[in-house]
Amino acid sequence: MIKFEHVGLRYGIGPEVLSDVNFTLEPGSFHFLTGPSGAGKTSLMSLMFLGRKPTRGLVTMFDQNVNDMDRAKLSKLRQKIGVVFQEFRLLPHLSAFDNVALPLRITGHRESEIKSNVDELLEWVGLGDYKNVLPLTLSGGQQQRVAIARAVIARPKLLLADEPTGNLDDNIGFRLMHLFEQLNRMGTTIVIATHSQSIMEKFGHPRLVLDSGTLHVHEQSNWVQKNIEGVY
Amino acid sequence: MSRFSKNKRLGIAESKGRYDLPLNKGSASNFMIVLVALMTFLAMMALSATFLLNSVTHHWSSGLENSLTIEIPAVDTDENIRSQEDIQALSQRVQDTLQPFAEINAATALTQEEIQELVSPWLGEDLAVGEMPLPGLISVELSSRNPENIQSITEAVKAIASDIKIDTHETWLNDILRLAGTLKISASFVTLIIGLTTITAIAGAIRSRMAEHRDDIELLHLMGASDMYITKQLQRHALILTIKGSLLGLGAGLVIIAAMSLLSSSDNPVMPGLSLDIVNISGLFLLPVAISFIAWITARFTVLRVLGQMP
Repeated sequence: MIKFEHVGLRYGIGPEVLSDVNFTLEPGSFHFLTGPSGAGKTSLMSLMFLGRKPTRGLVTMFDQNVNDMDRAKLSKLRQKIGVVFQEFRLLPHLSAFDNVALPLRITGHRESEIKSNVDELLEWVGLGDYKNVLPLTLSGGQQQRVAIARAVIARPKLLLADEPTGNLDDNIGFRLMHLFEQLNRMGTTIVIATHSQSIMEKFGHPRLVLDSGTLHVHEQSNWVQKNIEGVY
Repeated sequence: MSRFSKNKRLGIAESKGRYDLPLNKGSASNFMIVLVALMTFLAMMALSATFLLNSVTHHWSSGLENSLTIEIPAVDTDENIRSQEDIQALSQRVQDTLQPFAEINAATALTQEEIQELVSPWLGEDLAVGEMPLPGLISVELSSRNPENIQSITEAVKAIASDIKIDTHETWLNDILRLAGTLKISASFVTLIIGLTTITAIAGAIRSRMAEHRDDIELLHLMGASDMYITKQLQRHALILTIKGSLLGLGAGLVIIAAMSLLSSSDNPVMPGLSLDIVNISGLFLLPVAISFIAWITARFTVLRVLGQMP
């Protein structure tokens, strides 16, 4: 589904923030993306949600080479990707309902369908009573739930989440992780960027580890074993 | 579509017509309305000036183009003053000579009172007939203006007296038409400048709105919104503001034109007042449509161009 081959990224004439990144994500897989701050997680995510083009290498998404793809096809491809941004990026002038409804409106769904789906999802994330409220009056955790609801409402084929549980208490964080797992069981490929060891250990999915712009793929069992060996 | 607008006190969104982008907020919208209103007003003034010039040139040329004036000078070639009786006799001979010409509809000799009235703006109202030698004037109406016919009329009249003058008004007419043509070109140029300024201002306003909401637009773009999805919202916004502005400009322009029309209405035979026919008025009412169309197209190309710079 997603294949990065010798991908590099630099901003302007600066040094490469990602260099020679190679990995493949199979359809329906679930990965954590982790690494120290400044390792390039957000840059890698931006390449995956087609917010940037690589300065070198080949990116294949949904079996299509995106390097030379025209704008119309890129838009269609982006509609298959749900993104939870670290800073949420909710539209401040739109209600929680309208923020969540955006992906469905962009893809041209009927209003009746949008209403029932959005109402149901907002209830599910515990924001049923806040649907007409503007984001700025919501708490950080509530805004994050709106952002997550917006990312999953259109049942994307790929869900990318940057620290999605960062502002949530453990209970709600685990609940949302279960939502991601549920989506994953329905066929959505999921990549979650996180620093949370507890989340990664509890859910035990393979890890993409970024360090100084280079990527290493670790299956969870090996990762745990290696770190345990390192500790003892 | 956002069905809600912000209730500032409660932070609750209320039902309203929607934009994904907060385009209906901020003072930039009012600026664009005022700008378009001014542009529409100026375009109306330029267009009205063109209509007035058309009317004036038509008025002048229709009165002169199929006519000529024959003048029997008050002083003959030997510098002797002709008596009124001589002038009347010559005048009669000229009229008789012109009789057989088929292309002449009428040849009317002006009375001394009529001639005095013509010269009174220069010589004063108090001039008594007989105090000053006045020429004889014969106004000739032609069915068509043909150079060959005018030549044969000239020869026939000159045969009566070589100093009789025939004024075909050609020089005067050409000068007037040239002046009017220059003024019309100037008015069209002004209209063109107004159009270009409108396009530049609308493109600038759209770019400014896009810069203001760049993060929101980028978010829609990343969520898979097509260029047309985003463009339509900005285009609709620009169209609504332009319609509002151009209608304001139209209203102000109509008031001024009506006032000018009232103030300029007079019986002056040389300078007709500003009166617009149904075609002219339709042209003025089409201005908001034209300006709105310009805004719609400008917004479309500006937004697509800016979006084209996104990955």
